[in-house]
Amino acid sequence: MVEQFQKEFRKRDLFYSIALWFLSLIIPDPQLHYRKEYGFRKRDLFYLMTILWLPLIWSDPHFHHLMVLAGIHGILALGLTLFLGYAGQISLGHAAFFGIGSYTTAILTTRYGVPSFFALWASALTASLVAFLIGRPILKLKGYFLALATLGFGEIFLVMVRESSSLTGGVIGIFDIPFFSFAGFIFDTFLKQYYLIWGVLVGLVLFSKNLIRSKMGRAFLAVASSEDGASAVGIDVARIKLGVFIIGAAFAGSAGSLFASVMSTANPETFSLNLSVLIVMMVILGGMGNLYGPIAGAIFLTFLIDGLSRYQEYSLPVYGLILILLLIFFPDGIGTRLRVRLIYLISYLGRKRRREKVEL
Amino acid sequence: MLLSVEEIVKNYDGVRALNRISLQVRKGTVKGLMGPNGAGKSTLFHLISGMEKPDSGRICFKEKEISGLPTHEISQRGVGRTFQTLQVFGNMTVVENVLTGMHMRIKGGLLSSGLWFPWIRTSEEVAMKEAKEILEQLGLFGRWKWFASQLSYGEQKQLEIARALAAKPDLLLLDEPVAGLTYPEAKQLAVNLSRLRETGLTLFLIEHHMGMVMEIADEVAVLNNGELLAEGPPDVVKKDPGVIEAYMLKK
Repeated sequence: MVEQFQKEFRKRDLFYSIALWFLSLIIPDPQLHYRKEYGFRKRDLFYLMTILWLPLIWSDPHFHHLMVLAGIHGILALGLTLFLGYAGQISLGHAAFFGIGSYTTAILTTRYGVPSFFALWASALTASLVAFLIGRPILKLKGYFLALATLGFGEIFLVMVRESSSLTGGVIGIFDIPFFSFAGFIFDTFLKQYYLIWGVLVGLVLFSKNLIRSKMGRAFLAVASSEDGASAVGIDVARIKLGVFIIGAAFAGSAGSLFASVMSTANPETFSLNLSVLIVMMVILGGMGNLYGPIAGAIFLTFLIDGLSRYQEYSLPVYGLILILLLIFFPDGIGTRLRVRLIYLISYLGRKRRREKVEL
Repeated sequence: MLLSVEEIVKNYDGVRALNRISLQVRKGTVKGLMGPNGAGKSTLFHLISGMEKPDSGRICFKEKEISGLPTHEISQRGVGRTFQTLQVFGNMTVVENVLTGMHMRIKGGLLSSGLWFPWIRTSEEVAMKEAKEILEQLGLFGRWKWFASQLSYGEQKQLEIARALAAKPDLLLLDEPVAGLTYPEAKQLAVNLSRLRETGLTLFLIEHHMGMVMEIADEVAVLNNGELLAEGPPDVVKKDPGVIEAYMLKK
């Protein structure tokens, strides 16, 4: 009987280890990515394959459309996580760069007939230029003050867009933006757009991964950890902050550009404070200091918003509630906390088993 | 003269932390800076490394004035330092901390790093090799994959020195390297410091521990209440009546 008991436990052990292995593929690891194993790994291949096959397996156009939105949010969250999760700086005006990207593309393509491929680059460039100009003064601030300053920037940009109606179309916005096209190929269905957006996102993830494992990534983390320590080894803290701010803005600008060419419209409603808060939530939800978490957060929240779209007028209180609950129960992100809990559980079960064995 | 501090004055809201201090550090020597708590030792280090600006006076490093420059530029000119309150990067591994110390010597900007050009890769690989060597020298190699926040206090202090060394400084400012260490750790540190000295590095260290300073330092300066009490070889300073009075009264 004792043997039977032990055998059962062994079987359960095997089950746990398989489950853990599987979960380790899905749940982003909070630490591993800046350990020595950088580069392209098994987990990345798993993600890539999922992205490639998912829309073909689940061929519902509404799902494709939501995944397009999730991908755009993912690009935004990825840019912000470099700034918030790695360099430890807060920004509540990230949506403004999204707006800058949207409007640059909208104006260039509808008024001047610029191909949307070039408009994408121009949008990223414009957003990063604006970030460069406002970054120097704003990034001297820290904590709450930085949050307030970026919040103010976002609101000022929104008012500017609404008021300068001759250029931006005011509250109504700009319509009939042509679909994204490249070398004669037009991305006019949700499925094509899905591959466009997620293709860009994969490229940006690879870029960020490289950045994180280089001296720049270490400088971001150093700035987040101790500014005195960073400057004592020769890191120009102000410059690093500005650099990561510009990269975040460029990501957001390209997300805005893609959004404009996918949705064919650009209007001020799409990048209010709502979006800024949403991006911060995605980053926090996914866990600070890793690259996949925010994308998971973006997917989750995009689907949640769609599910709650009937109650849109309550969206801000709901966001607030989610954010508070997250900060109470998952202060370092759901992915991170889940993994830690899981490891605790496994080790607890292991200990329990060993104890029982001794008693037997 | 590698470092010369000339007539430096620093006030904090009416308290004169440093009053017309002048001292020099010669190349290739070890200089100790002693004094009771609140004497202004750490303030002097902050002024040299640029974290604070002097009210008057000047600081010259390699015959060039550095007072007023931002911290990172002073560091790039060859002044490394450690901190009294630890400033290791707890969110990185031990070897990454050391690699961060090499920031200025590794190639790459934002774009070229993100695109991972071949020269970035080679530069990183060379740096990694060197970082491991530095860790080996300081006896931290066994912990290179650990997160810096997981290390003990003494190991974190060693790591801070390793990080400062990675920048290849000409002058290393050590702010109380022995404080808070256990006896074996302190002994290990003394061995490491004397080894560093043999490589030709100039050390300038704050230390309370009389025995260690007397053993390792070529020259000692004693501060008290922002005034320079005595300066000279350890044997001479030890017998200085002002120094004895300042130390005996405090202890």
